[in-house]
Amino acid sequence: MALHRLSLRLRPTVAHVRSIHTSRYGRQQEAAAVDSESEPISVFRTQENDPASQSEKQIGQFYTLPAEHIRLLFPHGLPNRYQQQVKTFNEACMMVRQPALEAISYLKKADYSKPALRYLFYGVKGSGKTMSLCHSVHFCYTQGWVVLHIPDAHLWVKNCKELMPSSYKSSRFDQPLQATSWLRNFKITNEPFLSKIKIKQRYVWTKRESTEEGRPLGELVDQGTSRVKSSSDVVAAVMKELRLQCGHPESNFRLAVAVDGVNALWGKSTIKKEDKSAVDPEELTLVYNLRKLLKNDWIGGAIITTLSQTGSLYTPKSAYLPQELLGERGFDSMDPFIPLSVPNYSEKEFESCYLYYTERNWLQHPQSRTEEGKKELIFLSNRNPTMFDRLCGFL
Amino acid sequence: MLGSSLKHIFSMAASVAGLLKPWTPSVVLVRWSRYNPYYLEPEVRREAYSRPEAELSAEEQEERKLKELRPIKAATCSTTSSVFDDPLISKFVRMIMTDGNKVLAREIITQTLENIKRKQVEKYHKTPAGKKEEIECNPYTIFHTALENCKPVVGLASIQKGGKSYQVPIPLTDNRRRFLAMKWMITECRENKHRRTHMYEKLSQELLAAFEKEGNVIKKRQELHKMAEANRAYAHYRWW
Repeated sequence: MALHRLSLRLRPTVAHVRSIHTSRYGRQQEAAAVDSESEPISVFRTQENDPASQSEKQIGQFYTLPAEHIRLLFPHGLPNRYQQQVKTFNEACMMVRQPALEAISYLKKADYSKPALRYLFYGVKGSGKTMSLCHSVHFCYTQGWVVLHIPDAHLWVKNCKELMPSSYKSSRFDQPLQATSWLRNFKITNEPFLSKIKIKQRYVWTKRESTEEGRPLGELVDQGTSRVKSSSDVVAAVMKELRLQCGHPESNFRLAVAVDGVNALWGKSTIKKEDKSAVDPEELTLVYNLRKLLKNDWIGGAIITTLSQTGSLYTPKSAYLPQELLGERGFDSMDPFIPLSVPNYSEKEFESCYLYYTERNWLQHPQSRTEEGKKELIFLSNRNPTMFDRLCGFL
Repeated sequence: MLGSSLKHIFSMAASVAGLLKPWTPSVVLVRWSRYNPYYLEPEVRREAYSRPEAELSAEEQEERKLKELRPIKAATCSTTSSVFDDPLISKFVRMIMTDGNKVLAREIITQTLENIKRKQVEKYHKTPAGKKEEIECNPYTIFHTALENCKPVVGLASIQKGGKSYQVPIPLTDNRRRFLAMKWMITECRENKHRRTHMYEKLSQELLAAFEKEGNVIKKRQELHKMAEANRAYAHYRWW
């Protein structure tokens, strides 16, 4: 019944009705209506798989991400449950939602000769911030930008197995494991750019090893992955090179910096030094250089970030607003930014998600297909995307 | 079992006293299931209350009048009037629970159901269109069918006759069969699987195997049946 109502609402978009009194137009309109009814309209799917061509008409509909893009662009960026879902359903479908569309429209219209704009997705737990970030990053990738995606900044400030004092600055600490894994994923995502971008400065790693000017960026990244000891410094070098080069008119690429859980950079960390005193995130090389990248003093790109309470340390569970999670220092550093609120599903979006799960054979309980069951699902999940997903998991 | 023996005593007392008045003990037992048999069972399902007066038969109307006057037992915390409530799953959750940690037990069961569904739906989406109907994706039907397949038909009881004890085949009640099936499933998953797998993973593997009538629990049931078949000669030792 809901399907019927939705299809009625969407029918004007399929065959636009205008009362022009021409018999020819009337026949064309009838033909269009017949065509659209003969093939099954799935109201929750859209054929516009390119994020650049999506508009408000597709809000609530699912578009398919090609498997190649998932493998190259998101070796580490997607949420765990979503990755499981992609594996189970044999396809990667993402919902087009208003915050992501807003961010993409700003990305399209921005002036890239001015300093980089900062976008911040915020919302309650499980409302879809990471997915909106991935949607925007997919847009940047399809437009041919260089993507610098940090999947979760919280992983850099907690559970560090190896902490080395930095060779470059004695007061800072290196994290070789995290740096090498990030460099490997960066290489997978930006393979074509690694040979095109040339570095503009000479970097000396040890007495015998150095990377000369004019070498491709790929060599720098390989240096980081093979020599684990200097990998954090390599990360810093890569960030510096990209930041300096993407503004120049001679370089024809734009840089998209995507950070998930940006409040980790200005929060506390659980890493302890040898004398059991806590490490300030500023003393970590990776965090220090990422903060430099997030400052809006470079041109030719965009900074898209997300707040996250889930992995954060020493923050209350109910905090979700930028002021609460970023703290004073973080807010002052991130200011000015474009805040994008990510709410729970609207009624239309919830319907669409429900129909998608039913079509993919995910809602198996016979009662979940009834009206009573659906009302109960709405009540239990409060239309929160994560809660709805977890509920439908065992129903 | 204690409740039923008490009921026995009470009914004796009722017939002796002649009048059984409703009473509540001075120290009220909140969490026990020992109620005065005067108390009636609660009705949890929502459909029972939405039926109009005219639809009910004479007995149901009498029952309703009785419920207006008699006291009702308190419903347990785990009973819900949700449409997704399944008594068999609740029973299984209670059996898996240790140290009263029902939250953990329920988590394990929901993860098991999700795991079963994920495996089946993945298989479903990978099969060609012709064979899709054969794959069962509903984790609840798989759970129910697997338990049905694990239930033994006859059990063995140790009966002493002439100084020697014999294993005698006996009929089992429905409750006992269900209990044995669940108990075997849980012990099998706890003891005979690899140490480093999660409980939900072990349970989902065993349930899917039982659904296909393979696996260690089915084997145990078959062995019990074989023993019962072998000891058929002693069946007349049973006197009940």
